[in-house]
Amino acid sequence: MKANPTRPSFFHHLHPPTIPAPQARFRYTLGAGGLSVYLVLLLVITGILEMFFYVPSPGEAAESVQTLAFLVPYGWLVRNLHYWVAQLLVVVAIIHLLRVVFTGAYAPPRRFNYLLGLALLLLSLLLDFTGYVLRWDEGVQWALVAGTNLVKSIPILGEGLYRLVVGGTQPGPAALIRFYAWHIFGLTLALVGVGAWHLFRVRRDGGIAVPPPEARRDASRISRFELVRREALAAILATAVLIVVASILPAPIAPPIREGSPLAAEARAPWFFLWVQQLLKWGDPFIFGVLIPVMVIVLLAGIPYWLPNPRPDELGRWFPAGNRAASLLLVILVIILLLLTILALSPLSTFP
Amino acid sequence: MNKKQGPVSKLHRRDFIMVALKGTLGLSSTLGLIGLIRFLGYQSDPAPQTEFELGPASNFPPGSRTPVPEAQAVLYHMPAGFIALSLVCPHLGCVINSVEQGYACPCHGSRFDAQGQVLNGPAREPMRVLRVEQTPGGQLILYTG
Amino acid sequence: MQTIRLFLASLLLCLSLLGAAWLQSRQPRPVSLLPTLTGQVEYCLTCHADLPEISPSHPVETFGCVLCHGGERLALDADLAHSTMRGGRNPSEFAVVEASCGSGDCHSGTAQDQRDHIQRAVTSVQGTYAGAIASIRFTYGAQSDQTARLGVYPVQDDHLTTATGLASLGTFDPSQESSPSVKAFADYCLDCHLSAEPLPGAQYARLTGCAACHTPTANTDLDQPVHRLTTAIPYTQCNTCHNRGNYDLRQMQFHPRTDQPVDRLHDYYQPIAQFVRCEWTLDCVDCHTRFEAMGDGDIHSNKKEIQYIQCRTCHGTLDELPLTRTIAGQDDLALRMAFLNPVIDLKVGDTVLVTEQGEPLWNTRQLADGAFELFGKATGQRFTFRPVMGTACEQKLDQQESRDCHECHSVKR
Repeated sequence: MKANPTRPSFFHHLHPPTIPAPQARFRYTLGAGGLSVYLVLLLVITGILEMFFYVPSPGEAAESVQTLAFLVPYGWLVRNLHYWVAQLLVVVAIIHLLRVVFTGAYAPPRRFNYLLGLALLLLSLLLDFTGYVLRWDEGVQWALVAGTNLVKSIPILGEGLYRLVVGGTQPGPAALIRFYAWHIFGLTLALVGVGAWHLFRVRRDGGIAVPPPEARRDASRISRFELVRREALAAILATAVLIVVASILPAPIAPPIREGSPLAAEARAPWFFLWVQQLLKWGDPFIFGVLIPVMVIVLLAGIPYWLPNPRPDELGRWFPAGNRAASLLLVILVIILLLLTILALSPLSTFP
Repeated sequence: MNKKQGPVSKLHRRDFIMVALKGTLGLSSTLGLIGLIRFLGYQSDPAPQTEFELGPASNFPPGSRTPVPEAQAVLYHMPAGFIALSLVCPHLGCVINSVEQGYACPCHGSRFDAQGQVLNGPAREPMRVLRVEQTPGGQLILYTG
Repeated sequence: MQTIRLFLASLLLCLSLLGAAWLQSRQPRPVSLLPTLTGQVEYCLTCHADLPEISPSHPVETFGCVLCHGGERLALDADLAHSTMRGGRNPSEFAVVEASCGSGDCHSGTAQDQRDHIQRAVTSVQGTYAGAIASIRFTYGAQSDQTARLGVYPVQDDHLTTATGLASLGTFDPSQESSPSVKAFADYCLDCHLSAEPLPGAQYARLTGCAACHTPTANTDLDQPVHRLTTAIPYTQCNTCHNRGNYDLRQMQFHPRTDQPVDRLHDYYQPIAQFVRCEWTLDCVDCHTRFEAMGDGDIHSNKKEIQYIQCRTCHGTLDELPLTRTIAGQDDLALRMAFLNPVIDLKVGDTVLVTEQGEPLWNTRQLADGAFELFGKATGQRFTFRPVMGTACEQKLDQQESRDCHECHSVKR
């Protein structure tokens, strides 16, 4: 794009003047962090458009979703986009987490930013869950009940926390309005705030993790203009692909929750919580549904602090020797979570 | 090798690609805008009722002046037949009140006589005359559309 | 180079947007309907606009579709739209009939408002199958008398009006039966009542619930949906269940008939039975009354307790004229029934026949010379007949039951 090198635009100014070329390559970062930012932007836009038609009241919520899906011109596109971009965000954020750990890019001074990133992942999962519940149809009924009851299982704080989340003694109109408020405002504000902080810290911590200048084999750099061009390319490409996906694959929809709605034979958690649903088949809700997932988060958060970090000259490439333990731990964790997810998909009647 | 032609053809191609790029981006934006306008233009509320059944004509004796609140109108049985006046103020749409000798709007003080003509006030048009029809069975139907 | 890539990506974006626009243009244009009874817009007509109006009494502008059928009124995807429909193809199935045909303002209420259709049908012998169950259990020693105790579904009646009415029936559970014949009966013979599982196939979908009688499907083009409710029920509809074949009580088997009867008198009915002209000319509904077919509101043990129409109901006896009633006001049930099925132009002041229980035979009228005229409810055909009194009838005075009339009047086949 024609940009004046002596007067960069606001957008160009958000980027450093130059960055090392090897680490700017797709094969190093996979563009996962940047893509996550763009996906959040798409979610905000499609979400705002949905707000013109969605009604957060139990009698009308699912019907307003049907109006969007079938009657509003391009409503199906906006809804499907919002759904697929949201699921993709969770996947891309996890890929970004994997990349950061496998390249050791969490080493000081980036340890705090790593925690911010973890918080963003959690916020994305909560946004995905609250958005899922807003459908208020038979597909989400059990996730709503089980999820809120998990909150109640927390000792001492459980009852109070439940009242805070649900706004009553059982999920109903108050819970729906609260989930709506959290989804469109509370969590979104937190996501944008923590996200801005995360991006600021990227700049302040020295940008994409690179080895110190004396350890670099390739000293070439790319300008902010080239960087912005690459980001624009990725954004346009991603948008096109997502529009095609949203046109072909519909977002899930089911009959509304009503008095006398049939109880689902197999109630399934949303895909990103299937591993928790599997854990819950094994025992106490608090231990398996709250404690263990919290321990997983704590384990992830502890990687930069408790496991060996790579040396500075090892940065800027995949699988340096210095953080083998961390990479191994993450691989094992991912395999376990994948196995739990697969197990969760097997029919309820078979063990485990 | 013709050096003079080389840079010229390169420039030409670069400009063309730039034009093509701007063109496709512009087209995408236009398509997006059209889609957005169609999206936002959808009306989910059903259209309000414009036909009201008032019952048998015999319920409204000659010379009577009967308010019809659900239609925001008032029904007159004149010597010539049935007519109705709309109680929606022609000024800015408030519902006009009935007073002795005519009508008065509570919002900005427009006043009308018993025939709906403007006596004073910011309103410049008289009260709207609405169509009333009688079915073969003697039932009255009021049209506010 | 970079610009080329950007251009190609933008081209892809353009194409994807054009693709989305094309998909949008392929969406069916939603056809809305705002029924006056519900006030909630429905889009069923987007796909189902060619369905015929179900009956003059149920105009679609007033009722819509969802009030009777259930379903998702806003969905244009077939699976989602039909997912919450009641009773599938037949919303009058007894499991869901209260929500579909009942719902307070319609066919569910009290006898006083004459809106107790569902209560009567659900307690009728046709519905409960109590008669067959009681007879079989009595025959094979599972119960000591012929009073019904069980039905195919449990039912209760808190308001008894007849001497033979029962307070309740339990559920007939074959696993609780010990006689092998009763168990065999449960295995082979529970197809024939108003809440049976219909046989597979679209043409059988409406042989349960209210539709079993009121949606005539016999002799129709099976590929066309039979979207109809009527009170003009032809005999072929009754025969869909009542003349399908023969029972073998020893083997507890049902043998469906294999012929395709054409001639009603000679082929349709069983060769051993005797029929008078009424029985092979008129439709079943021309004689059998509302109480007989739909129940009188009480739970009965056997159809003997509910079936009461006789030749003399219309024709009288040698020393008695048939019972009649003159229509006094606009509210008369006879007038309302004639309005629903205008084969006869009944007016206030006309005299119609009535049964011993006071049910008006609204398709009849007394003529000036004391004879009567009758209009076929399904065919509209007009018949005239004289009362027996004063004719050359040779029967004894104390033998005036229907079987006695058949002695002379049955047709030789």
